[in-house]
Order: sequence, then C-alpha cells, then structure tokens
Amino acid sequence: MGGESLSVQQEATALAGQNLANANNTAYADEQLVVQEATPLETSTGEEGTGVDAVSITSMRNALLDAQVAAEGSVTGSLTAQQSALQDAEAYLDEQLSDSSSSSDASSSTGLTADFSSLFGSLQTLSTDPSNISDRQAVIQSAQQLTEQFNQVSSGLSTVTSSLNTSIQNGVTAVNQDLSQIASLNQQIMVAQGSGGTADQLEDEREQTIENLAGYVNLTTSAQANGTVNVDVGGANMVTGDTVTNTLRTESSDGQLSVGLVNDGELTLTSGSIAGSMAARDGAVTTLQSSLDTLAGQLITQVNNVYQNGTDLNGNSGQAFFTGSDAANIGVNDALANDPSAFQASSTGQPGDNGVVLAMAQLADTALPDLNNQTMSQYYSQAVGSFGSSLQSVNEQLTNSTSVAQMLTTQRASASGVNTDTEMTNLLQFQKAYEASAELISTVNEMLSTLVNMKTE
Amino acid sequence: MRITNTSFTDNFLNQVQQLQQQQQTQQGESSTGLSVTLPEDNPAVMAQVLSQQTDSTANTAYQNNITHLQSTATTSATVMNSLQTLVSQVSQIATEASNGTNSSAQLSDYATQVQSLIQQAVQLANTQDENGNYIFSGTASDTKPFTTTTTNGKITAVSCALVDGTELAQSEIAPSTKISAQVLASGADGLITNTTTGADLFNHMLALQSDLESGNTSAINSTDTPALKTDEDNIIDQISGNGVTQSALSAASSLASALSTNLTTQISGETSADMATTLTELSQTQTAYEAALESGEKIMSVSLLNYLS
Repeated sequence: MGGESLSVQQEATALAGQNLANANNTAYADEQLVVQEATPLETSTGEEGTGVDAVSITSMRNALLDAQVAAEGSVTGSLTAQQSALQDAEAYLDEQLSDSSSSSDASSSTGLTADFSSLFGSLQTLSTDPSNISDRQAVIQSAQQLTEQFNQVSSGLSTVTSSLNTSIQNGVTAVNQDLSQIASLNQQIMVAQGSGGTADQLEDEREQTIENLAGYVNLTTSAQANGTVNVDVGGANMVTGDTVTNTLRTESSDGQLSVGLVNDGELTLTSGSIAGSMAARDGAVTTLQSSLDTLAGQLITQVNNVYQNGTDLNGNSGQAFFTGSDAANIGVNDALANDPSAFQASSTGQPGDNGVVLAMAQLADTALPDLNNQTMSQYYSQAVGSFGSSLQSVNEQLTNSTSVAQMLTTQRASASGVNTDTEMTNLLQFQKAYEASAELISTVNEMLSTLVNMKTE
Repeated sequence: MRITNTSFTDNFLNQVQQLQQQQQTQQGESSTGLSVTLPEDNPAVMAQVLSQQTDSTANTAYQNNITHLQSTATTSATVMNSLQTLVSQVSQIATEASNGTNSSAQLSDYATQVQSLIQQAVQLANTQDENGNYIFSGTASDTKPFTTTTTNGKITAVSCALVDGTELAQSEIAPSTKISAQVLASGADGLITNTTTGADLFNHMLALQSDLESGNTSAINSTDTPALKTDEDNIIDQISGNGVTQSALSAASSLASALSTNLTTQISGETSADMATTLTELSQTQTAYEAALESGEKIMSVSLLNYLS
C-alpha cells in the first residue's frame, strides 16, 4: 500500500512538473492525475483499505471553447488580410490631409485631388492669356503630373492585387500542409488510444494545427469515438480520420486567382485570410481601380472632344491632348512636351482666343452622365469616401473580432491553462503525501523489526 | 474566474497595446491639429473635405483671373483716359481754328499739332501689355490694330488691321460667370471706330488735319468738330463701361474672398481636432498607461514562489 502510494505521489509530482514546464505554452491544456481508492479487502472486521490507484491523466481541454477560438480566429484572419490590403491601397491612393500652417487649413498636397485642381487652375490661368507660353507650359506640366499620379495609383493598386493573389496562393499551400498534418496526427492519436494509452500531447499539437488552419479558411471539426477529428473546410470534407479526402487548388482566370477543390465538391469560403484576400481584391480594391479607370477614361474623352477642335499657335489642329484609355495608360500627347505652342487653345485660330482652353477649364464644373451626373472631382471624392468607408468598416469589425478572440482565449486559458500557484501548491501537497507514505513504510518497517527482534530474544 | 499564466499576460499585453494605440492616435491629433488625416479616419468628412478643397482651389483660380482682369481693365482705363485727353486737345484745336481769326500760318501750326496728336493716338491705340499682347485687339492679340501710311514723313492714312470675327476674350470669374475686361479698337462697340455711334477717330483727325492745311474752317466747324465730339463721347462711353467692369470685378473679388474664408472655416471645422479635449484625453491615457505598467510590474513580480522556502 505504501509503495503504491509513493508511486502515485511520484506520478502526480511529475505531472505538476509537466504542467509547470508548459505554463506559457498556449497550445497546452492543463493535465491532472485522476486517482481513486484502491479496491478494499473484505475482512472479518469489515472493509480494509488498500491504498490508492492512479486511474488516468485527464486533459482540461474544452472542445467547445477550442471550436469558438478557431472560428473567431478565422474571422480575425479574414479581417486582418482585408485591413492589410486596404491600408496598402490607401497608401498608394496618397490622399492624406495635412495641416497647412500658412492658412490654418487642412489640405491634401498630394494625390489626384490636388492634381485635378492644379490642372483646372492652370487652364483657368491660361484662359486669361491663351498665347502665353509659360502659362501653356504650366498646363502641360500639370496635366503630366495628373497623368503620372493616375499611373502610379493604378500601378500601386495592381501591386496590391498581385500581392493578394500571392497571399491566396501561399494560403492554399499552407492549408493543404495543415490538412496533411491533421490527418497524420489523427493517425498517431488513433494508434495511441487504440492501445489503451493517451495522446494529450498529440491532441495539443492537432488543436494548434487546426487553429492555424482556421486562420486561412472557415472550418468545422467533429470529434470521432476513435480519438480522430474530421475536418470540413468551406462546407467540403477535407479530412476523415487519417485520410486527406480533398485538398484546395488555385485556378487562374484573367490574371486573378480563385480557389477550388482538387476533387469534386462545393467550396464556400466565408472567412479566413484566403477569403479575406479575395474579398479585398474583388471588393474595395477592384471598385477603386474601376472608378479610377472610369474617371481617367472620361477625362481623356471629354478633354479630347473639346481640345481636338482647337488650333495651336502655329495654325495646326486636330491633335489629342490626352493619350491612352484608362488610369494605367493615360498620358499627355508627347508632341506637347517640348512645344507648348502646339497646345490648341484657340477656337478661331486667333492667338488671343480662349474658346477651347476655357471650355476645357469649364469641364471641372460639368456634371457628366457617365460619372453618375457628377463632376470629375465629385466622382473622385465619392470614390475616395466609399473606399474609406470600406476600410473603416473593416477596422471596426477587426477591433470587435479581436476583442471577441481575446475574450475567448482568456476563457479557454481560464478553463484549460496552467496556474503556477496552483501547481506549486499541488507540488507541496504531493510532497507531503509522499513524505507521509514514506513515513508509513518506515513505521511498518520498525514494527516488523520489533516483531523480529522479539522472536530472536 | 480562474486566472492562469497566459490569461494574465495576454490580457495585460492586450490592454497595454490598446492604450498605446490610443496614445498614438491622440498624439497624432495633437501634433497635426487634425482629427481626420486619412480616408479611413472619417470617410464622409474626407470626401466632403476633398470636394471643398477642389472648390477652394477653383475659387483661388477665379481670384487669380479677377486679378488679371483687373490689371487688364486698369491698363485699358489708363490708355483710354489718355486718349480722351488727347481727343479733347484735338477738339480744342478744332474750336480755336474755326473761329475765323487764324491766319493760314496759324492753321498750318494747328495741322502740325494734329499730326503729332495722330501719331500719339495711334501709339496709344496700339498699346501692348507686359506679355506683348495688343490690349485693343481682342482675340487677335498678336495683331497691331492700326497701321499708318506715311507720305513725306507725315501720316496720311490709318487703317485697321483687325478682321471680322475678332472678339473680346472672356474669362471666368465664378462658375459659369464670364466677363471680359478688354475693349476692342474697332467694331460695333469699338473704341476708335464704332459702327454703332459713327465714331472714327483717326479718319476724323486726318480730315481735320487736311481741313487745317487747306484752311477750310467751315468744314472744321460743321463737320470735323461734331465728328470729334462723337469720337470723344464714344471714348467716354468706353471709359464708363470700363468702370462698370472694374466695379463688377471688385464685387466678384469680394465674393471670392468671402467664399474662400467660408470654405477655409468649413474645412477647419470638419477636420480640426479639439485641442483641449485631445490633450486632456492624451493625459488621461498616459496616466492609465503608467498605471497599467506599474500594476502589471507589481503583480507579475510576485508569485507563490516568493514565499516558499
């Protein structure tokens, strides 16, 4: 009895040591030794105790909280991916208010708003003296600055889209690796438990892998009687027992990646970083890119329609002012770069006539049907506001999701984490019990010695 | 609630992180004076401010146009006033020459004076601005409006080079509001020749010069003097019209200035941080941050291990 008690206290002490060692391991679940009274002996005076037995080691893991942490991790993963992409796009958009100390006025010194204003302002100035070469040069430079800004923003948004496609590709690779890992761990757990043992460490590792997977995709898990966990991703079964039943693959269409299943089945990704990357790419970023293309297209069309009717200082006409068709390729006619006199400002051919340049300047205040009956600057301001709303919404959702994830993590830590004070107290408890059991053996030993000595005397 | 090692440290770090984020936001607001700097900060205000900024810079362009037009109008007024003074002198010569008391030598002297005044008048009518534009040529700004024919060093004819279709160039001083500060030398509302009033200054001066040379005082009295009166009245009308234009420009300038102030106030109201509130909140956050760090340090440095021997 004493020997068994020593063994149990030793086992409990070792477990406390294991818990203390993993006190800061977030994937670890606190483990406790389950003990029970050993089977008593029937004697003439009644039941006589035979000590203690160690029955099992129980992990404090809470499956419900684990599932909630994984699900919220998926939501957070999606929103984090969106926030990162949209903040990149916002940086490329380059619309930032700064304090103008000279006028105590907030103004955006960079970005398309300032460039549009600069172009139309220079056209107004030229309209007062349409043959002035330096004013003509100012118009051409303003237009070049505007088109370069269009090109840069468009290129930046393309970079964001490209980065998102890379993230999606990397995400799919990581998901497939995690699925293999889970199937492998399932197999090891099944073997361990099938032979009557426990696999707490493997279960911790599997839970960590599932939570990592949840960062990429929305998933559901279902625990099986044999200790394995089946995993469904986006509604499609991916892991059953020790078998990976399906994997993800990417498909390229028009330069954009989409995600599907290698085997048959329907995949619906609603959260996780892959879904977040696709939402950002196909949502706010594409909308912004499309708005800029529409705006650039209208600028090219409207300005050229007016400009082509004009005459330059050399009597020539019929040229285009802007080249290209969208934000990516809009440019200023190369012929103007080194020859401001080629700017077709006059509607009559007389150098002092400002008919064309004034009509170009007045486009700033013209509501255009293709821009939802808004002026160009109104349309752009609305596009910036709409994009800002998307990012602001993601920011707010991410703040909420992070709070929920933090709360769930705290709850889970409370249920299954390690408290060092508790473990230290347990350690003392086990130490004292061990000392007492040893004392029992010592006492029995003394009693037996006394008995043996009596017979020999 | 059971507190574990990771739950305590996670919560502590999360709270400290939130306080750091708050400090960063508040510090940004206090250093820039702006509560909105990026579209994500307040999309509606950002869109509104960008739109107002566009209006503000457009308004600045209108103000620049007004300044340019005022300069043009002032230059024109100066030249027209000189022309009016010159025509008065010519009229006075005509009056004095037609009183029947002048000898032919005196009439010849008068003719010489008129010749000189014709030269001055042509010079004034061909005035150019600082950029080389002829101020009375309208849209034909590179065309010298009047050319002279000289015989034996004397101007015998002045012809107008402006072609049909030459107009006054207008500029915008407000959205959809156009105005011209120019005066055209010739045409239906011309300064020198006016088909509406019959003014034809140079030909009338040349006729006077001719009549002075020939001693035809009756023609001076009956034809030249009334014609010059018409020319002077026409110039006075143009000066008056120029005054009206300058008044309109002055009013537009005041309006644009008021609009500029209004837009600046609006933008400032929408984007400026309330400094008193921001600095108070920053101070509160700093206090909370220090308290969090201090309490965290005290709690984390103590455990049961400190009391086990």
